[in-house]
Amino acid sequence: MLLLVGMRDINFLSPENLINLAADVVPLLIMAVGMTFVIYIGGIDLSSQSVANMSTVLATIALPTFGVGAGILVIAAGLVAGTVSGVVTTRLKVPSFISTLAVGGIALSVGQYASGQQALHMDTAQRQHAFGWMTGQVAGVPVSLILALAIVALAWFIQTRMMPGRIFKALGAGEPVVVASGIRAERYRILAFALSGMFAALAGLMFSVRLSGGSPTLAEGFLLPAIVAVLVGGTPLTGGVGGVLNTLIGTMIVAVVRASMLYFNIPATGQQIFFGVVLIIAIATTIDRSKMRVVK
Amino acid sequence: MFELVNVEKRYMGVHVLKGVDFRIDDGEIVGLVGENGAGKSTLMKVIYGAVQHDAGTLLVDGAPVSFRSPRDAMKRGVGMVYQEQSLIPNLTVMENIFLGFEKPFVRFGAINWKKMAEAARRQLAKVRLDIDPGTITARLTFAQRQLVELAKVLALEERVEGKLVILLDEPTSVLSRDEIELLFSVVRALRHRASFIFVSHRLDEIVALSDRIYVLKDGVVVDVMEAKGADISAIQKKMVGRDINGEYYREDRQAPYDPDRVLLELDHVEIAGQGNDISLTLHAGEVLALVGVEGSGREPILRTIFGMLRPDRGTLRIRGEPVHAFSPAHSVAHGVGYVPRERKVEGIASGMNVFENMTLPQMRNYSHAGVLDIRAERDLAREWIGKLSIKVPSEYADCGNLSGGNQQKVVLAKWRSSGSEIILLDHPTRGLDIGAKEDVYAMIRDMSAHGVGIILVADTLEEAIGLSHTIAVIKDGEIKKWFSCQPKAKPSLYDLIQYMV
Amino acid sequence: MNRFLATDALRKWVPLLVLVGLCLFFTALNPNFLSLRNFARIAISSSPALMVAIGVTFVILMGSIDLSMEGTVAVCAVVFALILNALGGTIAGRGWVALPAALLVGAALGAINGIVHVKLRIPSFMASLSLGFVGIGLSLLITGGDRILIDDPPFRSLLTVRVEGFPLMAYAALACLLVAWFIQDHTTVGRNFYAVGGGEDLARASGLNVGRLRIIGFVLAGVFYALGAIFAVARLGIAETETGRNFMFMSITSVVVGGTALRGGEGGVWNTLVGVLIVNVIGNGMVVIGLADYFQDGVLGLLVIAAVYLSTDRRSLSFVK
Repeated sequence: MLLLVGMRDINFLSPENLINLAADVVPLLIMAVGMTFVIYIGGIDLSSQSVANMSTVLATIALPTFGVGAGILVIAAGLVAGTVSGVVTTRLKVPSFISTLAVGGIALSVGQYASGQQALHMDTAQRQHAFGWMTGQVAGVPVSLILALAIVALAWFIQTRMMPGRIFKALGAGEPVVVASGIRAERYRILAFALSGMFAALAGLMFSVRLSGGSPTLAEGFLLPAIVAVLVGGTPLTGGVGGVLNTLIGTMIVAVVRASMLYFNIPATGQQIFFGVVLIIAIATTIDRSKMRVVK
Repeated sequence: MFELVNVEKRYMGVHVLKGVDFRIDDGEIVGLVGENGAGKSTLMKVIYGAVQHDAGTLLVDGAPVSFRSPRDAMKRGVGMVYQEQSLIPNLTVMENIFLGFEKPFVRFGAINWKKMAEAARRQLAKVRLDIDPGTITARLTFAQRQLVELAKVLALEERVEGKLVILLDEPTSVLSRDEIELLFSVVRALRHRASFIFVSHRLDEIVALSDRIYVLKDGVVVDVMEAKGADISAIQKKMVGRDINGEYYREDRQAPYDPDRVLLELDHVEIAGQGNDISLTLHAGEVLALVGVEGSGREPILRTIFGMLRPDRGTLRIRGEPVHAFSPAHSVAHGVGYVPRERKVEGIASGMNVFENMTLPQMRNYSHAGVLDIRAERDLAREWIGKLSIKVPSEYADCGNLSGGNQQKVVLAKWRSSGSEIILLDHPTRGLDIGAKEDVYAMIRDMSAHGVGIILVADTLEEAIGLSHTIAVIKDGEIKKWFSCQPKAKPSLYDLIQYMV
Repeated sequence: MNRFLATDALRKWVPLLVLVGLCLFFTALNPNFLSLRNFARIAISSSPALMVAIGVTFVILMGSIDLSMEGTVAVCAVVFALILNALGGTIAGRGWVALPAALLVGAALGAINGIVHVKLRIPSFMASLSLGFVGIGLSLLITGGDRILIDDPPFRSLLTVRVEGFPLMAYAALACLLVAWFIQDHTTVGRNFYAVGGGEDLARASGLNVGRLRIIGFVLAGVFYALGAIFAVARLGIAETETGRNFMFMSITSVVVGGTALRGGEGGVWNTLVGVLIVNVIGNGMVVIGLADYFQDGVLGLLVIAAVYLSTDRRSLSFVK
């Protein structure tokens, strides 16, 4: 796809263009990476978009009082939202697509309440002071992109080199074996949801810094591409394989598709149809049907 | 008349049915007995169409038939009363009876409930069950549901020509004395409508109800006898009747255990919901076998020791320490390891490699501040691959792709390497070929020699006798009899069977 | 035995008790709540929601789930409006064709949904979520993001003409509810939905074609989404992509709060009626007592968690030996 567009217009493949392309998808990438953990253990998180929305509002409101601390506050809020999803899913045995939908509703309410249902703006000086470093560039590469790659690297480290990551993998392979190995499986399932909430909040934070404001609908339209990025990257809905690096690739694919569509003047509405269809194809081809006794 | 001639069946290379001949006349009640793994359930599945045989013929009234599905079999009058009941709990009794056959009751798209209820009442009368056909099935007692299930099969009568053949799979296993009597009288009274194939572990019931008895062993019908005057112990011997080969179970390597080191103690423990009273002691180096028929209550004991079930009463001590927190995490932390019967579900994480599987319960020992030391993990895996001669290309091999025997070795290595001193083996040789079984036996001897205490629920009685130091015979949840099991002085199969049935 | 039957019966009535309790609560805080005008208002907001919720009830009874309603409602609404306006702009004339056309579109989208779910063996929540996005995109593509105005008095009479204080729409919705109840309780297909929800393997063993039943369920759901779309358009006089907004969360919440179990086989369209009323009474009541409506999503979120928790914690329907 990249090459196809590249052939039409050589400028498309220029380094600057590619870097801009990448920088554009930083919030999406971070959200998708967080969601990867949940899908990796065989769940789903439909609350990411609402959590990101909420965090754009909270970040904007908290900025004048807390400065950089606003960032920490927002991330903590995401962590809490994710933990609630996790607890509801594991302890109350509510299917994750319902529990995260419900938590998403709650997050949306918080965002609407906090914002008074209107778009808020960050004070330029305050933003510059607290998060200015995020919008800068190092050697022509946006700091946000470097930051995002560092976050991906961290997530990758957690997934492949740390105990929780290993347990996530085992959970994706099958929960009974984890329990029978004497691991408190529920805790780690909750952790996966908590990470997803945290990453979604971080995505919202970066988005709001970039747009210098917040609103309860700012991150609208993130959910579908984020899920697509994870699944197209090769982490199946049944979990256990794939992971963070797959999602990096998946996000790049999404970014390129978007940019190409823009380039070919395909309207934004077409994107949604396209991604919806791609999602079905990705699920159908990657899902591990041996793990599903009945498909409901 | 329903007949099987020279029926063969293989599952993935295993010869399950070896030329079985089976005949049932109209109005006859035939008993079918055999040990676990004798091929009973496969034979039944062939009869009611859930499984297709590889060779041989099925004859209904002398005409060859082929069943591609249970529905096919039902169309020829062969119906099954399932052990794990097949009624849908949230539907009414009449809906269950006519599920999939609602057409005769539909007029202009709407179901005529009155007509269906009448028809259902007629079926229920056959089994002498006087309940409202509109009752939600979940509200019935187990015995009532069993009769409804029978009525459902009997409803075939009006849809097929000829007589019915009805399979009863362990129908009495959860019924009370009175309920069993009721069921038997119903079955006897129905002989003019159908013939029955009756499968049960309870040989006295088989003898009491049947006309003829088929004894199945290793996929072969070893005897067909008249039930009248049949001797239960003779049947039992025909079912097992295999010599115990001391060499096969490495009896020469059976060393006495250490009576002074108690690893595990159950002190008047009442297993959750069983209302029983279990006391036992496991010593270092001891192999303690729990023996009993299917459903006698062996697995719940294992699951309680592993912390998956919380006992209702009594004390469980691990190395003298009473256990209060019942969870697998607690048990594992205190040196209990569990080799589950469902190897692919609870034993092995398929999709994960050998070292990832082995360190799963002991990751804390292979990590610093949560960061895994993968080099050390790989070293560990290589060490155990060598020790147990696990056949894998490398420690990176996906355990889901290994053979059953090698998977079982990985599971055993997982617990051995994590230093478990109490190992619970639930059917450790299930589904393994002979060579792999011998490897497992050798590993059990190794573990004993290292002072590990083992509680074994074996696949066969021979295995339990051959491997263990001590045997506890369990029936209806209680320990009925203890046997000491020293080499050269082992109890016979018959000694155990007496207390099992 | 008797005791558990009693608690069982009690549980069955919990949603209705909650509904009555809510009405009393809001009345106590503001007596204006208990007025014909306000009830008519609740009826108007409930009518489209009831249709959509009934649709998804059929799917949930089978133990599946459908999250495509926002897309389907949007497409149906837009198609309905376009055809109506193209054929003279009134259902009194040739424009009536728009009604069956919208239902057909709903059925077709449902069929696609069911086929993707059953034939590609994808979990229904994901198949329907994806197709919901496709639907939203499709409706945007058709309208180009514009609103389509419907100014057809005969059609708008669903809202404007009142009988006994309630708009025609409420009676029409009630009629559709009766049809749904007939399908659920008195047809083989409806009863077989319960069989699939109660035990899919067992239903299959009894010879039911479970895959076909699933597809039928999704088609039925699609038809009811289309009805919901028509009522929604009648209510606002506008058809646009936004017409479908919020229906997913609201309808799933309604079904679950009404007492239909997510695992399937339990509950039904009457439960859904109660659930829809609970959700709409909460929405209306919060406005009446002066609370901002943006709390609604949060309250519904808590409600759905509580309802699912209570229904799963319930004595299991499966046989305990």
